[in-house]
Amino acid sequence: MKTFILRTFDRFKSAVGNTALIFQRELVLLLSDLGVTILLLIVPVVYPFLYSLIYYPEVVRDLPVAVVDMSQSSDSRAFIRKLNATPDLDIRYECISMEEAAEKFRKRENRGIVLIPETYSSDLALGRQAVVSLYADMEFFLYYKAMVMGAGLVSIEEGNDIQIKRLLNAGLSERQAEVFSNPFVISGNSIANPAGGFASYGIPAALMLIIQQTLVLAIGIMAGTARERHKLGTLIPCDLRRMGTFRMVLGKSAAYFLIYAVMCFYMLGAIPAWFGYPDKAGFSQLVALMVPYLLSAIFFGLCLSVFFKNRETPMLLYLFLSLPLLFLSGIIWPLSNMSPWWQVVRSIFPSSHAMLGYIKMNSLGADISETSHEIAMLWKLTAFYFVFACLVYKTQISKVKKLVLDAG
Amino acid sequence: MNNHIKALIGVSGREINRMTSRPLYLLAVVLLPLLSLLFFVSLMKEGVPVKLPIAVVDYDHTALSAKFSRTIDATPGSSVVMTPATEHEALSELRKGNIYGYVVLPHNLQSDIMNGTQPTVRFYYQNGLLIAGGLIQNDLTVTLHTLSAGVNKQKREAMGQDEVSVLAAIQPIKPDVHLLFNPETSYQVYVTTIMLPIMLQIFILMITVYSIGIEIKERTSREWLRMADKSVLIALSGKLLPYTVIFFILTMFSNFLLFSVLMIPVNTSVVYLVLLSLVFVLAYQAIGVFFVGLLPMMRHSLNLAAFYGILALTLCGFSFPIEHMPEVFRLWAEAFPVRHYMHIFQSQILAGFDFVYAATSYLKFLLFLLLPFTIIFRLKSALIYQNFIEKIRITDAA
Repeated sequence: MKTFILRTFDRFKSAVGNTALIFQRELVLLLSDLGVTILLLIVPVVYPFLYSLIYYPEVVRDLPVAVVDMSQSSDSRAFIRKLNATPDLDIRYECISMEEAAEKFRKRENRGIVLIPETYSSDLALGRQAVVSLYADMEFFLYYKAMVMGAGLVSIEEGNDIQIKRLLNAGLSERQAEVFSNPFVISGNSIANPAGGFASYGIPAALMLIIQQTLVLAIGIMAGTARERHKLGTLIPCDLRRMGTFRMVLGKSAAYFLIYAVMCFYMLGAIPAWFGYPDKAGFSQLVALMVPYLLSAIFFGLCLSVFFKNRETPMLLYLFLSLPLLFLSGIIWPLSNMSPWWQVVRSIFPSSHAMLGYIKMNSLGADISETSHEIAMLWKLTAFYFVFACLVYKTQISKVKKLVLDAG
Repeated sequence: MNNHIKALIGVSGREINRMTSRPLYLLAVVLLPLLSLLFFVSLMKEGVPVKLPIAVVDYDHTALSAKFSRTIDATPGSSVVMTPATEHEALSELRKGNIYGYVVLPHNLQSDIMNGTQPTVRFYYQNGLLIAGGLIQNDLTVTLHTLSAGVNKQKREAMGQDEVSVLAAIQPIKPDVHLLFNPETSYQVYVTTIMLPIMLQIFILMITVYSIGIEIKERTSREWLRMADKSVLIALSGKLLPYTVIFFILTMFSNFLLFSVLMIPVNTSVVYLVLLSLVFVLAYQAIGVFFVGLLPMMRHSLNLAAFYGILALTLCGFSFPIEHMPEVFRLWAEAFPVRHYMHIFQSQILAGFDFVYAATSYLKFLLFLLLPFTIIFRLKSALIYQNFIEKIRITDAA
């Protein structure tokens, strides 16, 4: 009995020692490989910075618009002044004809046209409905939004003022006229991202995706390189001391985990603070989300890495996935409108859950229980990919053992 | 001349042999690009997200508040999936991701409206997700204004005003919105049309860099050059020709998906579509050659191509318009063919404007084709001297 305990203890000691050795070896290999170092340490630092600078203006302001004023009255000029006063629009051209405005549109000098009809002023005077035509450029969603929201709101406000003026003329008091035209007040409030900023919306999600993508690419490149460096072209080195499935998987994972745990402080702490992105998530919430995310992404990477026979294969076969994954996450196309088939595909990637979970915690202030679905999914994926990675490595190890034995 | 053509065909044949010898090529040249195209075509097949889930918190429980709920539910953009008892609950549901917005109908809504004390109806939308939030905001603003006008209208009709003058009185100015070239505000037109070329350019770039870089890495570049009569131009053209054909077919297939399956209207001659697809493929191949020439060690040129290919999504300006980016990025964006592709697509194909309005973009495409000539000698010497090969150390001893 005593010898059994001692033997177990010895085995345990060597296992821990070997795991530590693999961990150390992986870390040294990672940091001595320029390509991988760039991927692990430079890309996550530079990309958020670059994207933040590109999207720095956040929203579309002062969209250049041409106005065709056929009415040429004080009423129409008042309307144009109000249009110009909205932050969304900038009345850059006053054209005499629709043709002139359209020509400027074709040359992309303006991004929208407002046509005020000849009858504008007389319609208002006679109590008829005046119709103002808005031509919105549909090239960019944000242009369309600026034009329709900007000009639409001005028509509503101007119409409201006219209605109230008429009611006052009809003998109502100011308060009565106001209540008459607006029986109730409408108040729209945004939860998170009140300015509708593009960077505040896109960059936190992109950060999450970058973590998984750089991890999988780095692990894949390391695996491909290992095959090129090992004499028999195997994933595992022909070194019997370092065999052992758990030791391989845990030792390697620990190296990546350590690096990314450090990077997270920069990506989730410094970047939001510098650029003023939402940062409602507390430290404990971030830990609850990031621990299973990093683990599942690392094990996912280890599983995929067996398929990469060469150093450059991951770039050719995996990189492209970044864009579909961005669209599958549910931050662009709403999940409620995604087909069940794509929902299933979506759910096998750790990034999908982490991106949505991070937006919930960070922008909406959701707590751990409100993010429990995402966190649970990430733990499930962690378990699944861990088992899968172990199986994959076990097969690889037995392959090497066989090769070594055959070679004598 | 005849010899040159023979050499060209020889090199192309050699490349086709290489392509069929490894499954990698089948994946990166055919299968994965095809899957990516089909993914983007099928993901947003609705065009516009409809019936987004929202909630109504009804504190009033009157006939009027019930009517409000029904009207909100009936709008095409949103669907009332729950009626939580409190705002607190609604907020929690929103945080869980079950709804994208909610409306709060206050206590005494009906009686306050009757008494003329002007209650406030608040609504909330999830703007952390810009598309869903924007749609809900738009939808609820319009619906609530309609409801407000409805109350106004009832009062006026009770006073005996006729319908036409009531309408003019409630809404003296009516905006008549014409949505140019995308009347259904379909995301297929916004997003899918640009995502397909963006996906293709990644594959074209990577495989161009790889197919040349691997010759240097595996020291087969001299044999390749010999086969091409030692002309680097023949070597490159012969090697890239099979890929040009395949990617041209893929680009035409993506056009087929866009214009025949998704039924996005083509307002120009098909000749331009063919021309555009061809210069698109050639421009990206040229950029790929340029990258390998610049950094003949494949691992570095692949990294550069990856960085550039992914950045295209941002700098083609479809997510956020280039004109509103800082100046330096406006200039940088010029270096992405997909940006010019987008301009031609929108101006010529979608809007049907004359060729002249897109002519400068075609010219810029041609400039990309000149890029390889800037590094041609550097590339040739790399192919001959093979001086950009990393040493592979064997790190284990069997």
